Amino acid sequence: MNQERIYKVLLGPHVSEKASMAAERGQYVFRVAPDATKPEVKKAVEQLFNVTVEGVQILNRKGKLKRTQRGFGKRNDIRKAYVKLAEGQDIDFLDVE
Amino acid sequence: MQVSVETTSSIERRMTIGVPSQEIDKAVAERLQQTARTVRLNGFRPGKVPMSVVKRRFGDSVRQEVVGEVMRDSYVKALDDQKISPAGWPRFEPKVMEEGKDLEFIAIFEVMPEIEVGGLDKIAIEKPVSEVADKDIDTMIDNLRRQQATFKSVKRKSKKKDVVNIDFKGYVDGEAFSGGEATGHQLTLGSDSMIPGFEDGIVGAKAGDELEIEVTFPEEYHNEELAGKPAKFEIKVNDVQEPVLPELDKAFFEKFGLAAEDEESFRVEVKKNMERELKQAVSTKVKNDVVAGLLEQNDIQVPQGLVDQEIDRLRQDAVQRFGGQMDFNQLPKEIFQDQAARRVKTGLLFQELVRKNELKADPAKVEEKIQEIASTYETPDEVVTYYGVPENKAQIESVVIEDAIVDFVLQQAKVKEKKMKYEDAVKAAQAQQD
Repeated sequence: MNQERIYKVLLGPHVSEKASMAAERGQYVFRVAPDATKPEVKKAVEQLFNVTVEGVQILNRKGKLKRTQRGFGKRNDIRKAYVKLAEGQDIDFLDVE
Repeated sequence: MQVSVETTSSIERRMTIGVPSQEIDKAVAERLQQTARTVRLNGFRPGKVPMSVVKRRFGDSVRQEVVGEVMRDSYVKALDDQKISPAGWPRFEPKVMEEGKDLEFIAIFEVMPEIEVGGLDKIAIEKPVSEVADKDIDTMIDNLRRQQATFKSVKRKSKKKDVVNIDFKGYVDGEAFSGGEATGHQLTLGSDSMIPGFEDGIVGAKAGDELEIEVTFPEEYHNEELAGKPAKFEIKVNDVQEPVLPELDKAFFEKFGLAAEDEESFRVEVKKNMERELKQAVSTKVKNDVVAGLLEQNDIQVPQGLVDQEIDRLRQDAVQRFGGQMDFNQLPKEIFQDQAARRVKTGLLFQELVRKNELKADPAKVEEKIQEIASTYETPDEVVTYYGVPENKAQIESVVIEDAIVDFVLQQAKVKEKKMKYEDAVKAAQAQQD
């Protein structure tokens, strides 16, 4: 995987109640590119935040179907990655947000 | 909380205040908890935002806020403990302001100067002594008649004090210049409203005369192109009118609102008015002398904070006088600095005089003053009721106290009486007010 791709994989941190609960057990949640794979996410996180990644889980969340007067509209789908870091490591999202 | 006060100049103080870190941390934590309950963040249900997130998001700004409040609070408390009364607002300078460490900051402020009013006996005051003489009344009545004069066309040659109606056209270097032409211009001869020589040239002309005069614009003429240049004016005199002074009859007296039957009683009324004016003029003059003398003998340092407040007031006044469309902050501060400093100094000196000598507003005098003011209104009763309200009465009281101060200073100062003519006495007071 080339260097350019690394900067394209991670779209940003995903901030929510669930994500902050996950952070307490060492899992950090990112929004990732729709075509990102687990190895790609792992490498990107390791390189960008200078940490060791133990595991990655990825999921797709379908965008909601919204109905208006003019017909149907669909919100964008989101691809999220839960990244488990090695014991004792963390990521401070302050400077990323 | 530890406080230490340093005296940096006669009126400036530096107060170093230390506040333990626990106090601040506690306040910050409390504030954060409150934010956590009310804040709405994307991705979180209201009230369910975890403390860690709130802290990361709002920690710094909340801390800033809390520190600012703690500074103000502890400053006020420190002043109370140390029994210092500041003048104007303090300036805060943080020394140590990190999390987990004790907060330390310096508050710089000015205090009221300790004033010792002295040198009262060195103040020299010139008190005009004057009387309204018969001749002064004559002049006054003469002036009044002239104001009410009517004009009548005459065929004779014009002389000074006549009003002439003229058309004129001016040439400089043989060419007409802008603003040098007018028709039907009413000109009072001897009023010096035109350039020198112009009016003199018309004296002696009859209605219907056409003449040419040559004059030179004065060097300091406001139009630079014309200043110092010789000019020729073609003048056509349309009419010559002489002033006719009104008779001293009842109709004339009524114009001035004086209920006088004949000349004798009119003179008495005029004299009364003049005497009132004279009295007022003398007291203004003396008061101004007293203020000037006090300031000269007591060069005190005043807190800039107070001066700034006064400057703001002056600026507001100035804006209001000019129609009030402007933001008074736009006026430069510097132009008011001297005036404001003078006012503050005067105020402080007066205060000190009142305090030290226990001067009070004499209720009888206050009452007298109210009656005096009321008598000049059409409905005196209303005025009296208005000043019955304590806040409004305070205005009068302050005036009376001021008079008391002036009297007090006068007793000690070197008062020199000086004979003056009526006119000079009134003029002296006016000149000082400007």
